[in-house]
Amino acid sequence: MNGLSHGSAPARVLRIGTLYLVLLGLGALFATPVAWMLSSSLHTLPDVFAQPYRWLPAVLQWENYVRAVTILPVPLFLWNTIVITVPVMAATALSSALVAYGFARFRFPGRDLLFSLCLATMMLPGQVTMIPLYILFARLGWVDTYLPLIVPALFGSPFYIFLLRQFFLTIPKDSEEAALIDGASRLRIWWSIILPQARPALATVLIFTFIGTWNDFFGPLLYLNSPEKATLTLGLNLMKTQVLGSGVVEWNVLMAGSLLVLLPNVVLFFLAQQHFIKGISMGASK
Amino acid sequence: MTLMKLPEAPLTSFVRYLLPGFLASLFLLTGCGGSGGNDRTIVYNCAANTAEIAALKPAQEKFFARTGIHVKLNPFSGEEKLYAMIAAGQAPDVFYTNNAVRDRLAAEGRLLDLRPFAEQDPVWAKLRPEVKAAAVSADGGIYSLGNWTHTCGVYYDRAAFAAAGLKPPAADWTWADFRAAAQALTRDDNGDGKPERYGAFIPAHFIEALEQMNHAPIAHDGLFLAIPPEAREAYAAYLELIRAGVMPDIRRVQALGMQAAQMLQSGRVAMLFEAVPHTGLIETLTNDWAVAPLPRFGAKEPRYFRSASGGLSLSATVENPADAWRALVWLISEAEPYQPSPVLAAVPFVTAWEEKYPRLRGRGFREVWELSEQHPGGDPRYFVRFASWSMGPVMTRFQPWLDRLWSGDATIDQVVAAVPGINAEVRRDLERQLQSSALRPAWKAALEKALAEAQP
Amino acid sequence: MKAEHKQGWLFVSPWVIGFVLLTAGPMVYSLYLSFTASSLLSPPQWVGLENYRRMFGDPIFYRSLGNTAYYAVLGVPLGMVLSLGLALLLDAPVRGLGFFRTLFFLPSVTNTVALSILWLWLLNPEFGLINLALARFGLEGPLWLQDETWAKPALVLMSLWTVGGQMIICLAALQGVPPELKEAAAIDGAGPVRRFFAVTLPLISPALLFNLIMGLVGALQVFTQAFVMTGGVQPGSEGGPNQSTLFIVLYIYKKAFQEYDMGYASALAWALFLIITVCTWIAWRVSKSRVHYEGGSA
Repeated sequence: MNGLSHGSAPARVLRIGTLYLVLLGLGALFATPVAWMLSSSLHTLPDVFAQPYRWLPAVLQWENYVRAVTILPVPLFLWNTIVITVPVMAATALSSALVAYGFARFRFPGRDLLFSLCLATMMLPGQVTMIPLYILFARLGWVDTYLPLIVPALFGSPFYIFLLRQFFLTIPKDSEEAALIDGASRLRIWWSIILPQARPALATVLIFTFIGTWNDFFGPLLYLNSPEKATLTLGLNLMKTQVLGSGVVEWNVLMAGSLLVLLPNVVLFFLAQQHFIKGISMGASK
Repeated sequence: MTLMKLPEAPLTSFVRYLLPGFLASLFLLTGCGGSGGNDRTIVYNCAANTAEIAALKPAQEKFFARTGIHVKLNPFSGEEKLYAMIAAGQAPDVFYTNNAVRDRLAAEGRLLDLRPFAEQDPVWAKLRPEVKAAAVSADGGIYSLGNWTHTCGVYYDRAAFAAAGLKPPAADWTWADFRAAAQALTRDDNGDGKPERYGAFIPAHFIEALEQMNHAPIAHDGLFLAIPPEAREAYAAYLELIRAGVMPDIRRVQALGMQAAQMLQSGRVAMLFEAVPHTGLIETLTNDWAVAPLPRFGAKEPRYFRSASGGLSLSATVENPADAWRALVWLISEAEPYQPSPVLAAVPFVTAWEEKYPRLRGRGFREVWELSEQHPGGDPRYFVRFASWSMGPVMTRFQPWLDRLWSGDATIDQVVAAVPGINAEVRRDLERQLQSSALRPAWKAALEKALAEAQP
Repeated sequence: MKAEHKQGWLFVSPWVIGFVLLTAGPMVYSLYLSFTASSLLSPPQWVGLENYRRMFGDPIFYRSLGNTAYYAVLGVPLGMVLSLGLALLLDAPVRGLGFFRTLFFLPSVTNTVALSILWLWLLNPEFGLINLALARFGLEGPLWLQDETWAKPALVLMSLWTVGGQMIICLAALQGVPPELKEAAAIDGAGPVRRFFAVTLPLISPALLFNLIMGLVGALQVFTQAFVMTGGVQPGSEGGPNQSTLFIVLYIYKKAFQEYDMGYASALAWALFLIITVCTWIAWRVSKSRVHYEGGSA
C-alpha cells in the first residue's frame, strides 16, 4: 500500500481521500459498540430498551456514572486488578519471549515435539481441564489468593510463545551471528539484539496480555472467593446478577461501569500502538 | 515498553539465578494463601449482587449477636464454580441448588441429609405444603429447603381492556373468554398483517401451566416423557393463538429480545402469562396493569401453578452441621433481606408484599395468590420431563421438537410420534447412570424401582 | 550434550516446567476421565472405550460437529481476509491512522456482556440496524438468532467484528516489511497488486500462518457467544433454535456442568482435540512451502 506516496499530486489527494472515506465508514461500523455503550449509559433505565432505540437521550443521565462508582468500592477493585495485571504482563512477555527464542533459534533433540506439545495445549477445550486444575490449586491452598491468576504467567503462554516464535523467525540471523563471534552470550543476544527488533511483536503481546487479564472474568470468578479481593470485571458482574424473584438489572449503570473499566484498554492501546508502527522494522536491520 | 538492561551474563547464570528465582517466587507467593476462620463460621454462597450483599451485611451482624454464628458471604454465580468447589471438597456450607442439581449431588453423597434436623425443628411444620413436598427427594431424604415460591397469572393492560369495551377478567374466566379477549385486543390498524398490538403472549415455558389447567396428569418424579391427550389439547390451543395472529410468533418475541415487562409496558401485548409475584414486573411497569388468575379449561376445576422448586442446601463437608442448619433456617425464614418469607405458611404473604410494594394493591394480586392456595395444582416442573434424573436427557432431545412445533415445522402428531424414540434413548441414559458405582444405595434402589415401574 | 542443545532446553525450560507442573496433570487426568464414568464427585469408574462408542452413536454429537464445521469454514477465511484488509488500509503512510486503529480495535476490548446486548439489539428483526438497513433495499431481514438458517451466519458476522486482534498481528508483521524491497519492486515496474503478492505477502506469511492456526483453534472451540446469545431459559433450549448453534464445546459444557457427565464430556473434548490437531497439522503442512522465514526455518 505504499502506492499512496507515488504518482501525481491530484491522484495522490484522490487516493488519500478515498482511503479516509473507507476508513471513516468502517470506523463508524467498528465504533458502534462503544458508541452504544456511551449512549445507553446516559439513558434512564426504561429508555435503554425503548424500541425503536434513541441514540441521543432527552436528558443526559450523568448520575449513572456517579452511581456506578458509588455502588462498587472502585479504588479497592482497581487496585486488585492492577496487582494482578502488572505482574502477569511482565511475566508473560518475558517468559514467552525466552521460550519462543528457544524454539526459533536452537536445534535440539525433541524440539519439534515440544513445540507441537506447546501448541497442543491450546487445542483441548478448557472445560474439561478446569476442574482438575482447580483441584490442584485448591490442594496447594491457593484458592482465594491471586496466585492461580499470576503464577501460570511465569511459564509463558502457548499463544504468545507461538506468536513470538513466528516473529523471531522473520528476523535475519546475520547480526546474531556477528555477536556470537564477538563472544556475546545467547541470553545477551536475546536481550539486546532480538527483543529490540521484535518490538512490534512484544508490544502486541503486552497489549493483548493487558486486555486479556484486565477483562478476565472467568479466572477471578473461579479462584477468588472473598468479595474484598474482587477485580473490576467481577465487580461489574455484581451489578448484573439478578436476585431472588428476578430483580431489576440497571443496565444503564452497568454500561457506565463497563465503559469506565474499558477506558484504560483504549487509552493504553492508543498509546502503545506507536510501538508497532514506529518500532524498528523487523528484518530491515543489517 | 521499558525494560531494564540485564547485566552481561553467561547463560549459566540464567540457570543459577533466574530458574531458582521462578521457583522461589512460587513459594514466596504461596505464603499469602489460606484464610482462617473460627469453628462457628458458616460460608454462604449468596447471589453476586451488590444490593443483596449490602442488605445481608447488617442482617448477618444481628444474627451473629443473637447466635454467635458468623455467616461469611461468598457471593458468586455460575454452575462451573460451584461444581469445581464441590469436586475439590471446598464447597460453601450453604448454597442454592435447583432440584435437578440437588438430586445429582445428593445421590453422590455431597449434600447433608437434613431429615434429622427437620424432625426436631419446629420450622418444618411451619413450611408451606408445596415447599415441604419439593424438599423430599426420591430416596426419602431432605437435601434442600425452598427459599421461594410463586404462582402464575395473566398480567393485563386494564386501559386496553376498557378501550376495547371488555370487562376485566373474572376469577372464573375460561379459555374461551381469554381467547375472545385476545381476539378483541389484537390491533392491526395499518392492515399489514403484523399487528401493532397482539392480544396475548404466553412464553413457551408457561405451556405447562396450560397443560396443568387442562388436567394433564403430573407424574411426580416420573422419568419419561409423556404427552397425554390433555397436553395435546393445550399444545393445540397454544398453536391456534399463533396461527390466528392474536399471539406473536415465539421466535420473533425471542429475537426481539424484549423482557416480559417491556412487552406489556410498550403495548406490544395486552395480556401476558408471567410469574406472580415478579419483582421485575412490579418495579418496571408504569402503565395501568393488573393480574388475573389463569383461565380455566371449560368446566374443569382449576389447578393453579404452585412452584417451590429450588432452595438452600448444606454441603456434606460442613464442619458444624447444627450451626449450618441454624443459618439455613435463618436464611429461608428470618433473614431481613428475604422478608416477607415466601415459604412460611403462617406469614400473611399478600399483606406483607403489598406493604413492601404498595402498587400491588388493588391489582388482583391477592385474588390470584389466594386462589392458587385454594386450588393448588402442584409444580408443573414435576411434569415428567422435569423430573430431576431425566430432565437433561429428555429436554436435550425434546426441545428441538418443541422448537419445530412452535415454528410450524412439525405437527403435534409428529411430536407425539417422536416420544417413544426419545424415551428409548432416555432409558439408555438412565440405565447407564444406574451402573455408576458412585450412586448411593438408597438412590440406586429408588431409580431402579422407578425404571422398573415405567416398564411398558 | 552439545552446548546448543543445552542452551535450547534452557530457553524453553520455563514452558517445560509450567507444562509439567500445571498443564500436563489436568490434561492427562481428563484423558483418563474419558475412559471412565465420572462426575468428579466420586471416584471414577473405568468403562474402557464405552464413552467413545457412545459418541459415535450420538446424533447430537454429529449435529454439534456439523454446526462447528459450518462456523469454522465460514468464519476463519472471512476473518483472515478482513483482518489483513484492515491492516493493509492502516499501514498506509498517512496521518491520523492511530485514531482509526483504535476504532477498529474497540470491539475486541469491549466487555462480552455489553457486546452481546448490543448484538441482540443489532440483530433485532424489527428495530435492529441490520434489518433496518436491509429494509432500505426493500428486503425483509430474517429473525437471525431465532432462525435456524441464519443463527450461525449471525454469529459469524459477530465474530468478524472482533478481528481487531488478528488485525494488529498483521499490522505488526507489515511493519516488518522493509520499504526498500517494495521500492525495489516498484522500480522493476511491479504494480501495487504484484508488489503485494510478490513482496509483502511472503514476508508476512509467518504472521498469517499464526492467524490461520489460531483462527482455526478459536473457531473449532467457539463457545462464549453461542453460550451468551442463544442460551435459553429452559433446560435443553441452549444451542439456539432446533440446536442450530449447539457447537461442540457448548455440548461439552452442557454434558460436564449441567449433566455432571464428566467422563463423556472428556471423551468429547478429546475427540475435538484430535480434530483440531489434524486440522492444524494439515494447515501447517499445506502452508509449509508457502511460509517464508527470513531467518531460515531454523
